[in-house]
Amino acid sequence: MTNNEAFENVNEEELFRFLREDEKVSSEKIVAPRYSYWKSVFRVFFKKKSNIFMLVVLVLLLLSAFICPLFMPYDMMENITNPATYNLSPAAAMKYFGGFSFKWMLGSGGMGNSIFYGIFSSARTSLMLAFICAAINMFLGIVLGAVWGYSKKVDAVMLVIYNIVANVPLILLVTVIVYIIGTGFWSLIFSLCVTGWLGIAFFFRTQVMIIRDREYSLASRCLGTPLPRIITKNILPFLTSVIVTILATELPSYISMEVYLSFLGLGLSAELPSLGRMISLAQSAFLIYPWEFWPPVFFASVLTILLYLLGQKLADASDPRTHMM
Amino acid sequence: MKKYLFKRILFSIFSLLVVVGVVMILVYSLIERSVIFQTDDIWNKKSNNDRAVYEYAQYQKYGYLEYVDYTSFVRDKYVEKYGEDYYTQSDYLLDKDIVQKADAFMDNETVKEFIDYYNKKGYTFSYYKPITFKSGKVKPGGKGYFIASYEKSVFTRLGRYIAGLITVETTKDVKDPELTDRYIRIEKDPYGGGFAVVGSGTRHKYLIYFDGRFPYIHQNWLHLNLGVSYTAYRGQEISSVISSPTGELITKNVQFPTMFGTDEYIESAIDFHSLTYNEAEISDAEKAQFTDRYTVYSYNKAGLSMLQTSFVIGIIATIIAYALGLPAGMHMARRKDKLGDKLGNAYIIFIMAVPSLAYIFMFAAIGTTLFHLPYKFANANVKILAYILPVISLALPQIGSLMKWMRRYMIDQMNSDYVKFARAEGLSEKEIYKIHISRNAMIYLVQGIPGSILGCLTGAIITERVYGVPGVGNLLTNALNQHDNGVIVACTFFYTSLSIISIILGDLLLAKYDPRISLSEEGGGGR
Repeated sequence: MTNNEAFENVNEEELFRFLREDEKVSSEKIVAPRYSYWKSVFRVFFKKKSNIFMLVVLVLLLLSAFICPLFMPYDMMENITNPATYNLSPAAAMKYFGGFSFKWMLGSGGMGNSIFYGIFSSARTSLMLAFICAAINMFLGIVLGAVWGYSKKVDAVMLVIYNIVANVPLILLVTVIVYIIGTGFWSLIFSLCVTGWLGIAFFFRTQVMIIRDREYSLASRCLGTPLPRIITKNILPFLTSVIVTILATELPSYISMEVYLSFLGLGLSAELPSLGRMISLAQSAFLIYPWEFWPPVFFASVLTILLYLLGQKLADASDPRTHMM
Repeated sequence: MKKYLFKRILFSIFSLLVVVGVVMILVYSLIERSVIFQTDDIWNKKSNNDRAVYEYAQYQKYGYLEYVDYTSFVRDKYVEKYGEDYYTQSDYLLDKDIVQKADAFMDNETVKEFIDYYNKKGYTFSYYKPITFKSGKVKPGGKGYFIASYEKSVFTRLGRYIAGLITVETTKDVKDPELTDRYIRIEKDPYGGGFAVVGSGTRHKYLIYFDGRFPYIHQNWLHLNLGVSYTAYRGQEISSVISSPTGELITKNVQFPTMFGTDEYIESAIDFHSLTYNEAEISDAEKAQFTDRYTVYSYNKAGLSMLQTSFVIGIIATIIAYALGLPAGMHMARRKDKLGDKLGNAYIIFIMAVPSLAYIFMFAAIGTTLFHLPYKFANANVKILAYILPVISLALPQIGSLMKWMRRYMIDQMNSDYVKFARAEGLSEKEIYKIHISRNAMIYLVQGIPGSILGCLTGAIITERVYGVPGVGNLLTNALNQHDNGVIVACTFFYTSLSIISIILGDLLLAKYDPRISLSEEGGGGR
């Protein structure tokens, strides 16, 4: 009643008016709050203080690994002729080399090498290895996994290949590749990538298969959308958080893998410093010379944990369901 | 279902063969074969033609090729012709020495015979001319050789491997023509309890027998030939290397067959059930001890075999992991975002992200310094204590992964309709979690159980290395370091069969646990 009473005294002119020409178009549109996917991802990600803190620490570590070696040139062999410098504890090393220095604050290794300088040079190698391997394997795994999951014909063939290749022991493969093309940074990358993408592709295949048979995908196919477009527009966007999750586990896994292979004597060549080599050189006497063993282990662990955690948080943030305000 | 299973098994056998074939190509064709001489002193000492022939012998030993030396062909020919006195005959000496005369070599009849015979078998020939000084004297190692060699293709190699995989002993195994009395029969067993299946003409004397050792009934009848080791365990069959007991000898009072019926006993560790036929000359001492030619034996040892050691450590770790990991995962899901869940997540992240080598050493450092547990397996005074650290190192990562998946699947189930319905029915939270959610979450984990049990048989590379455990984990890595090709192929065959069997058993267990799942295409809802 009150509404009607309120309107009774108003004439029609005030209630309705004709639109001007330029007002017509915008009023036809349905207005919704602006939504940008990646903006929302980062908004959710940076909302947590702990994420920012971890990111800062990780960036500092990455910068130190890539910049420190420029100012702190690491030479494993610099004291090789002087056995008195071998296996010195931090205190003994600083005393031997004359007072406090950053170079000897973590002691010296089995060849008189500086542990502190060694960590940064080693971390650089390990990180580069992890980033390059992850990039290659992720790219191959995701592209081929998408095709594998989408096409049933490819699936039949790839399953046979997967069953065979997944059963060839990795250390055997690495050994054979080392014998054929020699040890080195790129040969290790090659051996980690030659079959590494299969596991990612297999995981991704299952995810794609789940999305493939959803109604909107079927409808799209009925309308004659070509396969590459279905994969890139219908399926991949749905799987962004899955991709980030894979990345979160892959990146640290290559650092661990390098440590593992070095321990077995299959890793990088001797002149290239890496965290795996530092750990495997120090492991035999880790109770006697703990300062040689724990720093690289600690550095590798912090790196892998940060990469893993940040990846998980980014994956959580990249799931659109967390974007609701 | 039977048809499905049959197809699955056939397909698995096919993949197994391909894997072994691929590994054979990797090992025998892709790795440069001359690496086996890198650390070989004998090879370094030899020179000229001697070195080339030594290489053939080594390649044959490592399984790369088969070769025949012309000299041995000549010898066999004249042994057949003249018997024992062949080496004094003039035509034998002529044919034998023709190899040293490069110009007259090709016209010799026996050489032509040799070429014809091995040409038909697909051999290739190489003639190493005698290398002489200018004076005509032969250089060291410069004697002439004529050699026919046969490079095995992957298919022959694979075919022979598969054909020789399982052997059954028969009474025709012993080639000795003097042995006329050949039989397999049940006899009273003087060394064990009751009766044994005894063979004559078979390689082993006792084919099936009983004794006090687990599993109480033993057999020497069927043999699994995974591959022969060339370097690490010289000439031994790898399946017997990993399954024969190690450690200290167990001595007890025993009688040799000639002592039966007397009061005479000797203290010895001889395992009389392991007697095999002696094709070589029998010594007088052996004649005084044995009544037949089965005189070759091994010893009773107290320790576990390599396989048992790995399995014991692995299975204890697996049981602990399931017993702790599953309840912990359930607890985390029930108290999601509470303190317990956060602590559990921190643990999972630690285990997932930190390199396994790092935390194994961490456990080793904590165990040895705080709890004074033995670090190296061999140095342990109390053997049981030596198992603790390896078991912990194996169990903790497994616990982490089980916790992670159990929590994930439980949380996924918690939002299902049937849970809401059960709650509406008035079931208590405890019942809902225990009867509904955890059982449904377990469906995803059941598949992996056979794999984690059978996986214990492959051992653990890092754990066994760090603690010096005498298990099977480092079989493959050691074989790779020593170019022990037979062991590499054997390991691959063993690991692949285990993984294939685990997957099939896992699927069967899954179908048993959840009757809604049907493996064959007829039933169920699969596409």
